[in-house]
Amino acid sequence: MLKAVILREIQNHLFNLRFQIGILVVVSAFAIGTISSLKGQEHRMLQYTDFESQFRENMREQAESNVGRLAVDKRIYLMKPRQNSFIADCKETYLPNVIEFSAWEVSTFMNKRGSANPFLNKFQEMNWTFIVTVIMGFLVLLFTFDSVSGEKEAGTLSLTLSNPLSRGTVLFGKWVATVLTTMIMLVLGILISMLVVTISGQTVLTAGLILEIVGFILFAFIFFLNMAAIGLLASVMTRSANVSLLICLSAWLLFAVIIPNSATFAAKRFFSIVSSQAVDERVDQAYDDLNNNAPEGSWSYRGSDPFYPRHELRADLMMKRMEARQRILKPHIQEMFRQFERTRMATVASPICLFEYLSESAVGGGYTRFRKTWDDMHLYQARLLQYFKDLDAADDDSPHWYNPVEDISTTRKPVPFSSVPLFQETAPDISNRIDAALIYVLVCVLYTVILFALSFVVFIRYDVR
Amino acid sequence: MWLIAKRDVLDNILSAKFLVGFFLCLVLIPFSVLLNIDAYGDRVLLAQQEQAQAERQLQETRVYSRVRPEIVKPPEALSVFSKGISDQVGHRVRVQLGEKPLLAEGTVQTHDNPLLTAFFSTDFSGVILIVMSLLALIFSYDLCTKEKEDGTLRLQLSNSLSRATLLAGKVLGVLLTLLPILVFCYLLSALIVLVSPRIALSGLEWQRLALLFIASMLLMMCYSMIGLLVSTSRKSSVPSLVICLFIWVLTVFIIPNAATFIASSFVKTESRDNLDAVIADLHKERSDLIREHRKQLPEPDLYLSMWSYSGGDAEYEDYGCTRLYFENVREQAAFTAPLFIDYADKKWPYQRSWWESLQHQRHISERLALLSPAGMFTAITNAVCYADASSQELFMERVRQYRETFIQYFIDQELFTDFRYVTPVEPADMMTADQMIYRLSGGEFRTMNALTEWGSRQADPFAYFGKLRQGDVHGIKPDDFDYLNLDDVPRFQWEHRTVLTGMQTVMVRALALILVTVILFYGAYLAFMRYDVR
Repeated sequence: MLKAVILREIQNHLFNLRFQIGILVVVSAFAIGTISSLKGQEHRMLQYTDFESQFRENMREQAESNVGRLAVDKRIYLMKPRQNSFIADCKETYLPNVIEFSAWEVSTFMNKRGSANPFLNKFQEMNWTFIVTVIMGFLVLLFTFDSVSGEKEAGTLSLTLSNPLSRGTVLFGKWVATVLTTMIMLVLGILISMLVVTISGQTVLTAGLILEIVGFILFAFIFFLNMAAIGLLASVMTRSANVSLLICLSAWLLFAVIIPNSATFAAKRFFSIVSSQAVDERVDQAYDDLNNNAPEGSWSYRGSDPFYPRHELRADLMMKRMEARQRILKPHIQEMFRQFERTRMATVASPICLFEYLSESAVGGGYTRFRKTWDDMHLYQARLLQYFKDLDAADDDSPHWYNPVEDISTTRKPVPFSSVPLFQETAPDISNRIDAALIYVLVCVLYTVILFALSFVVFIRYDVR
Repeated sequence: MWLIAKRDVLDNILSAKFLVGFFLCLVLIPFSVLLNIDAYGDRVLLAQQEQAQAERQLQETRVYSRVRPEIVKPPEALSVFSKGISDQVGHRVRVQLGEKPLLAEGTVQTHDNPLLTAFFSTDFSGVILIVMSLLALIFSYDLCTKEKEDGTLRLQLSNSLSRATLLAGKVLGVLLTLLPILVFCYLLSALIVLVSPRIALSGLEWQRLALLFIASMLLMMCYSMIGLLVSTSRKSSVPSLVICLFIWVLTVFIIPNAATFIASSFVKTESRDNLDAVIADLHKERSDLIREHRKQLPEPDLYLSMWSYSGGDAEYEDYGCTRLYFENVREQAAFTAPLFIDYADKKWPYQRSWWESLQHQRHISERLALLSPAGMFTAITNAVCYADASSQELFMERVRQYRETFIQYFIDQELFTDFRYVTPVEPADMMTADQMIYRLSGGEFRTMNALTEWGSRQADPFAYFGKLRQGDVHGIKPDDFDYLNLDDVPRFQWEHRTVLTGMQTVMVRALALILVTVILFYGAYLAFMRYDVR
């Protein structure tokens, strides 16, 4: 019986004007979005390759002339443009994309200059996530807002219920049918998008990518269930389709406009952290204290003689300065992460935000990726430092006074570039992604179940006449 | 006609749509205005701090080479209504010899936590756009279809009423229903602004706000016409509604966003890395020239400066040196400062070309956004609230002009070749090497050679310097001197503009919006003439 209800509903949808316009918009959005996305990706890749070869060349030069310079020089690692950004760009244009490090420390992160054009209005890339959240989320509401109140107005609801059908079955059937119809659109759109991708030849279809797409579709399914439950709830709450439409539109405004746009405010007001200015002042203070208490002669320098005893004083001072800065900065950076995560949690009341975070885990991008790279960078830095210390230990011309900013009192020998450890960024693996997604999946499922249960309860008492 | 309008207005006002629309405004307008006033207040505080610090830094200089004013642009109060790109472009510029101001420093959005840039935020004009376009469509989608379905359309037309009058009356009815909501939104926000202690608008800004109101009316009319056109070309309400909602999502959410996205993907900007590389080359060339010149200068008699600073923008500050050493520094500065100005001009074409590629991308994105009335509206509100790229450029242009005046002042006063550029020590008080050694060593050594000879006999190489700390000599460290009097140095003026500043583009967009509205109305009129009322 349920099957019949679902089939009938799907048929209804398919021959509906909404579906026809909807599929037109969705398919063209997928096509245009993917084409532009790939074009942008091409450009980003070019710039990345230039930067990356420069980065390597610079490291090679230093390694082959003076490994001490290589150890102390601060360099910035640029994160590679993600191949699957046509699925979800996760706002990576605006997120930090470079990490500054030396062999001694991972110092900071930022958004590289030139990543985003400051004169452009802030925008979302028209990738799969955008289409699913903004276009299809809206479509789902359009499909459902009159599914009960509309049928009541048309008088078909009482007819349907005069069959031996439980009200639960009818409502469930409508719910599932709407989601299935939307899924048809989504799959069609994805096929078109993948066709574009394959023709362009920019991205190879690998097992990993397919898995990501499956994950994305799964999350989209949950998202549609959620949105459809909202639409159904609006529909059973009123006796006229017009009013349910207004409720749906208000809900959509709440989820797509109000909640996402109040995140910055929430972050500042409820999860505020110390300003970076205050942190800088504390660092300066710590530097001043160390400088003032440094033993006499700490600043003396004699370039020709590494073993000049006062170099050890300064090496010690510099090491202390670095440690002091790290002691202040590291907790502050953790605070930033926490602030960001809390702000995200504050926005999960909106399914649209929820889906954005879920799709981020599906493609392994955005904040999830940044955090992993940030942590991995620390491991790499430790490795690079160990490598350098080993070299230094083997060098008899070095006094072994570790100084994180000068190469005067440690080894200055050339080394073959091939022996220098290089940083290899790895995408977040499946467990990272599940970790990141788990909380959002739970919230989303719970949210959906509550919404549907609520609409069921209301529908049971619905006056169908 | 007025009768019809009046009846429709009454109908509408009593409907659920009106209530919901009113409620939406009641929630959304305070939400957006309060959020942005809050952000604005923080920015004012920040700008005040920075301004005070810049002023202090400027006043606490003892040599002219360190006079490098930092200009802080005060945040625009109107950005509360439409913030445009104001968070993304900086608001601080340091006036330097070696750099023509291109972009401002210090973007607000990365101030505390750069991660938070991943969140977006909206403003008053964004809310007006979303809500008013939606309401306009919702009130107009069933103008004809509903009456047709109810059968009242036929009845009305059976009176001695022309179709044109009926249509005009209905349009008037919709507009008169929406107008109170719009007025309410503006009054509410004006009230919040008036009550809030964190913001105050000047008379000029209130006038610009009135312009914003006119733009919102245009938007409202445009979307009403869209609804009307759809309504007159459809036979029943539900398809008409569906089409209207699609148009809404498409024009308000998708097209403006896609316009920027497509422009950013297809229109390439020049690479910042390349620009940086070119500039690094020029800087290297410049340093080579400076080094060459330095080699040709006569050696000072004593390589000693008791307090010395040299900064990246032809900045020098020295104390406790011999006359010949000061002379050496002065000549370095006299060569370096004009060279920095030259090289700023040499870098400029490259910087400008990069900048123009960014602007080109923006132009294309704005053109594409014109495909949607919402895009036109956003462009208008950003310009009206001084939050668009041209307003920023106006400011930068003023800063560049100021830099020229500033440099001209230095040239006119012949400061680059003056000792005051590098040290506050009066030329009459400068010493020879022997005089200086005599005084620094507290009278122990009469000549420089005596000290050098004594030093070479000591085991500790630092004994030499130890002797130089024996005398208590005035005038060898910064604290011994007063700050410069900078009253004559030209100051930056960010004069306020007239109501019509930057209005050319706004006028073009507004005319386009009016034109679209008229065409839509005409289309609706034609369709209604042929409308089958049965």
